[in-house]
Amino acid sequence: MSEQRNLVEVKDLLVKFPIADGGRRSFIRPVDHVSFAIKPGEVLALVGESGSGKSTIGKALVRIVEPSEGTIHVNDQDVTHIKRRELVAYRRYVQMVFQDPFGSLNPTRTIEQHLTFPLKKHGERGTNVSTSVDELLERVGLTPVAETRVKFPHELSGGQRQRVAIARALAVNPKFLVADEPISMLDVSIRAGILKLMNQLREDFNLAFLYITHDLASARYFGNRIMVLYGGKVMETANSDELIRHPMHPYTRLLLAATPGSGIRGALPETSNKAPNLVEGRKGCPFSDRCPLVTDICREQDPPIVQVSETHTTACHHV
Amino acid sequence: MSDRKPVLEIEDLSVAYQTANGLVNAVNDVNLKVYPEEIVGLVGESGSGKSTMAYAIMRLLKGDAFVTKGHIKVMGEDLYALSPKELRKFRWNKISMVFQSAMSALNPVMTVQTQIVDTLTSHRPEMSKAEAIKRAGELLDVVRIDRKHLNSYPHELSGGMRQRVVIAIAIALSPGFVIMDEPTTALDVVVQRSILDQIREIQQVEKFAVLFISHDFSLVAELASQVAIMYAGRIVELTKSGTLRLGERHHPYTEGLLRAIPHLTADEVVIEGIPGTPPNLVNLPSGCAFYPRCPLATDECRKARPNLYQTDNAIIECHLFKGDREVQHV
Repeated sequence: MSEQRNLVEVKDLLVKFPIADGGRRSFIRPVDHVSFAIKPGEVLALVGESGSGKSTIGKALVRIVEPSEGTIHVNDQDVTHIKRRELVAYRRYVQMVFQDPFGSLNPTRTIEQHLTFPLKKHGERGTNVSTSVDELLERVGLTPVAETRVKFPHELSGGQRQRVAIARALAVNPKFLVADEPISMLDVSIRAGILKLMNQLREDFNLAFLYITHDLASARYFGNRIMVLYGGKVMETANSDELIRHPMHPYTRLLLAATPGSGIRGALPETSNKAPNLVEGRKGCPFSDRCPLVTDICREQDPPIVQVSETHTTACHHV
Repeated sequence: MSDRKPVLEIEDLSVAYQTANGLVNAVNDVNLKVYPEEIVGLVGESGSGKSTMAYAIMRLLKGDAFVTKGHIKVMGEDLYALSPKELRKFRWNKISMVFQSAMSALNPVMTVQTQIVDTLTSHRPEMSKAEAIKRAGELLDVVRIDRKHLNSYPHELSGGMRQRVVIAIAIALSPGFVIMDEPTTALDVVVQRSILDQIREIQQVEKFAVLFISHDFSLVAELASQVAIMYAGRIVELTKSGTLRLGERHHPYTEGLLRAIPHLTADEVVIEGIPGTPPNLVNLPSGCAFYPRCPLATDECRKARPNLYQTDNAIIECHLFKGDREVQHV
């Protein structure tokens, strides 16, 4: 896979939002100079807690939020600031599946209408549309197709709705899917089915994924590589097994120790549970106010990126 | 264990909701006992009836929900026989509850101290205000929140701190039994872990029993000594938590759940969902409620509700365990 060219290339991505800070206008940086690449058919799992910037990165990639700095290249095209027609054309490459299958479907439209819309929007006409709807529903396992087509979202279970959302994303034949916590709102017995479906799609269409999650176990199952985020910065990136077995960054270790079933026993290192500070102008490592290994340098300087192995990097002063 | 008196005794409990589509049978003939100082986990998917059961135990069912059958005894006392005044004294002194969403469990326009003091004085009227204020400070120490937050409002606290305050309120009057309904579900893993550690720590000091409700298997397995697995309003298995893994003898539903979760450290990562969806509680399937989704179902499963069988580590409601000793109650 390593000789293949990158499908997605993100360099120094920075997203900032204005906030009101006692009347003064200042900014927070939910995504702070993040770089990564994804190859065709590869799944990059983005893991982090709330506030780590993982969803914002996903939204920037499908261009729901506008990047402030940095570049996004998809399929060798610079899509960082494209507009209108170009943007519509770009979304034929990239689609998104959202966390909440109850909120992401229109309650007054049938499943058929949900799928017809993107098909027509992106150029299909006539009887082709109907055949494509059937194919899509079959693809995601919503059979019998004829029955599903005429249903409304409220007639489906959460897992089935998420399948509709995936079918809708597939309607335009994308090469790349951003899946933002697609299973976190589903019941345990349903989750595995959705994960397996996504796995199958990756194989069948050579589909690449940015899989956004807070759950390391599912990241390990579905992701080829895992990228751990904290406070808008990348803490550690490695192949999934490697990251779970040999975590280098203190934050990754903390996350692993906190995950139930991790096998790492004993009390967690005593750290504050403060949310990361995202305000622009903050210095040093975002994890420094919770890190058990913190020293003065962490609060002053951005940590260097340490190359642990060819496929394993971590950003820490103390590795 | 059986020589001690249970703090919670549920006998043949059924709870139903009256809806436009007919009666929804949320809890069906459930039996469960929780003994002093024990942590029992209650696991199930959404709609399995676990929260309804908790509300029934607290006698908090409202509106269209009502107990159709059975008895609930907490420390030998039938909550449903108490007068409103007695009930008020019984709750929080003997039994209390940690609710799922800390944000909505706390009053947004009252400070932490006022809320704790309120709880203390309303459930224990003989307590003076000064005493209550003193106790509020102690309680924050117990859950390791700085006392300066006594004057904070809920929105000024982080999600984890809010949940700690809710826990502090639950243990304010040293009850013997606490129901915790998904207390950490909305929190990040690190915060979740530190709260669980804290619950365990406090539980060991204060010695109360816990019914811990969750949908997360691995979490409950770490915390509880026994785990009850609920499906379609029935407890289909009661098992020792240490044996919650594949290769042990379990109910097909439990096994399905175990197979459905990716494991963090397992060498082989194969997961398998349970086909189908949970049953409609208005029209429950005949026989075993799980048979339409069960890979091992036989004709018998469709016709007759299975009995309970005692294996080495569990009590299981399934026809497949006929070779084991039949028992009447979990």
